[in-house]
Amino acid sequence: MGKVVLVTGGSGLVGSALQHVINTEPRGSAYGAKEGEEWVFLRSKDADLRDFEQTRKAFEKYKPSYVIHLAARVGGLFANMAGNHTFLRENILMNDNVLQNAHDFKVEKVISCLSTCVFPDKVSYPLTESSVHLGPPHPSNFGYSHAKRLVDVQNQAYNAQYGDRFTSVIPTNVFGQFDNYDLRDAHVIPALIHRTYLAKQDNTPLTIAGTGKPLRQFIYSRDLAKLMIWALRSYEDIEPVILSVPEEQEISIKDVADAIVQATGFKGEVVYDSSRADGQFRKPASNAKLVKLMKESGSEPFEFTPFQQALKESVEWFVENYDKGARVGKHHATNGV
Amino acid sequence: MSIVLVTGGSGLVGKAIQWVIENEPVGSRFGRKDREEWIFIGSKDGDLRDFDSTKRIFEKYRPTHVIHLAALVGGLFSNMKYKATFLRDNLLINDNVIELSHQYKVEKLVSCLSTCVFPDQVKYPLSESSVHLGPPHHSNFGYAHGKRLVDVQNHAYYEQYGDKFTSVIPTNIFGPWDNYDLEDSHVIPGLLHKCLLAKRNDTPFVISGTGKPLRQFIYSRDLAKLMVWALHEYDEIEPIILSPAEDEEVSIKDVSDAIVQAIGFQGDYRFDTSKADGQFRKPASNAKLLEKLGDFEFTPFASALQESADWFVQNYATARTGKVSSPQV
Repeated sequence: MGKVVLVTGGSGLVGSALQHVINTEPRGSAYGAKEGEEWVFLRSKDADLRDFEQTRKAFEKYKPSYVIHLAARVGGLFANMAGNHTFLRENILMNDNVLQNAHDFKVEKVISCLSTCVFPDKVSYPLTESSVHLGPPHPSNFGYSHAKRLVDVQNQAYNAQYGDRFTSVIPTNVFGQFDNYDLRDAHVIPALIHRTYLAKQDNTPLTIAGTGKPLRQFIYSRDLAKLMIWALRSYEDIEPVILSVPEEQEISIKDVADAIVQATGFKGEVVYDSSRADGQFRKPASNAKLVKLMKESGSEPFEFTPFQQALKESVEWFVENYDKGARVGKHHATNGV
Repeated sequence: MSIVLVTGGSGLVGKAIQWVIENEPVGSRFGRKDREEWIFIGSKDGDLRDFDSTKRIFEKYRPTHVIHLAALVGGLFSNMKYKATFLRDNLLINDNVIELSHQYKVEKLVSCLSTCVFPDQVKYPLSESSVHLGPPHHSNFGYAHGKRLVDVQNHAYYEQYGDKFTSVIPTNIFGPWDNYDLEDSHVIPGLLHKCLLAKRNDTPFVISGTGKPLRQFIYSRDLAKLMVWALHEYDEIEPIILSPAEDEEVSIKDVSDAIVQAIGFQGDYRFDTSKADGQFRKPASNAKLLEKLGDFEFTPFASALQESADWFVQNYATARTGKVSSPQV
């Protein structure tokens, strides 16, 4: 009888990537399912994880041996600023329900997800795993940040008192297929993809806020999914591990925009509105711990998908699925797309 | 008509607030207002870790104000052994009380943090703005995170809904109705209990360490007055430290001398200097309190301690002396 791996948030950006990896990697391979192992991808319609009883029923139904916990209430800057309480409380409810049920059902391992956006506002760079709690988060998303940081506290508490093996990973900026492309709420790559698509369609210029100079580390959702499978199999710490490309692979917003323009075939004008503020110039995170651990666990050094290729795949998916259910959101361009 | 609900009403601080409400004149600075009813609930009224039970309490009393004292608390050993329980039970209790206060449109909620939840690595004196500047000490980190989150919740509810939920941060509290369990109690009730047993059993009264470390102590009845004041007049969402001034720190030796005196212990009284001292000082600044209430008169330590010791001796049979009791009671 094989073991069950339960993935909450199974239909989101990262959940979809995990589905893709499990469906395409050979069984028994480094990033594939094990023989006899069943992967269950839970969606919000299967259980409202803010409710303890519904969560318990899901655990009762699937009896997972492992849980990858991705479900969360997430949103862009404006949603967070308008709803810090909602983001705080709903995420705490979901996380507590999943972790407590994982404990009650004697789950062998839980991998939850933090984010580089929950680090302290005032902190030394590059970010490392040990800086997560060294000061308060940025005020704009403090509700979400505190709820996520609490997962690391909970992991340590469950381990200290019961020996439970609950841990977490900290991705940097994730992008890929099945993202949220809502023009107001999306993160930077999906927002730019959507806007470039519309600019091409409507024959308008593509305007990018800021100078395009800030640098960021991006991780392709399918690479992240493989690394999460590596973590499930081989990562033994309770403390989190940052999952990111190395610092040297930071990319400027302009490089991102250029790659999107290329991938969509946009031929119109690209304008940088430098009267609008740039975000922080750099917020690099160190992936030294990941590199060291993969080496120690005998894995080959991880080959991240080259950014251009990952972006091309992501854009192609968006164009293909624009009318077929991609989460393009409520905030549209005016010409009736 | 206002209804003030006090959770944890039968504990150290809850009993002190009851005493203040019963003894301070109605309408006075630290007394209840006219047309204000005070209700003190304890765990027998409902398990606050359960949302429905907590809701039944709010439905029954429909409070307009809440002083939230209920918590799972314990000494060093319990905290170290039960980190997940201290974290989760306090998260549940706090979320239920705070969320229901929001749902029932409570006009003001005052919760309780503690100086023991501050960062382990921090500059002294502690001030209200240092609460979140780094991780707490590992020994009570479950409790500490549960409490710190209350301040986060207060800010979140205020920012999104305008709710007036705030908190106070007392230093070390002592007084009647404490928890005197020899394993789980805090320093003053622990020493009171040990001294009384030494007197009754004719054994030495030995204190671990040198007695030199300094601490600020606040008498529960003084804290209670300040909490009544905070409920009526403290308007910020940020917490406020409630403590005597830094220069009123008392050494552990001064504390045990006062206890020996108050209990009337005449046997062998000494310090076991082979045992470790705790941190030498962890002073907290009460500058913010002084700015708002500069004329508050704290009960002199010696008389507060005498009252606490007298209460303990008189009420030994029914006090919370815990599992480890004297063979001759």
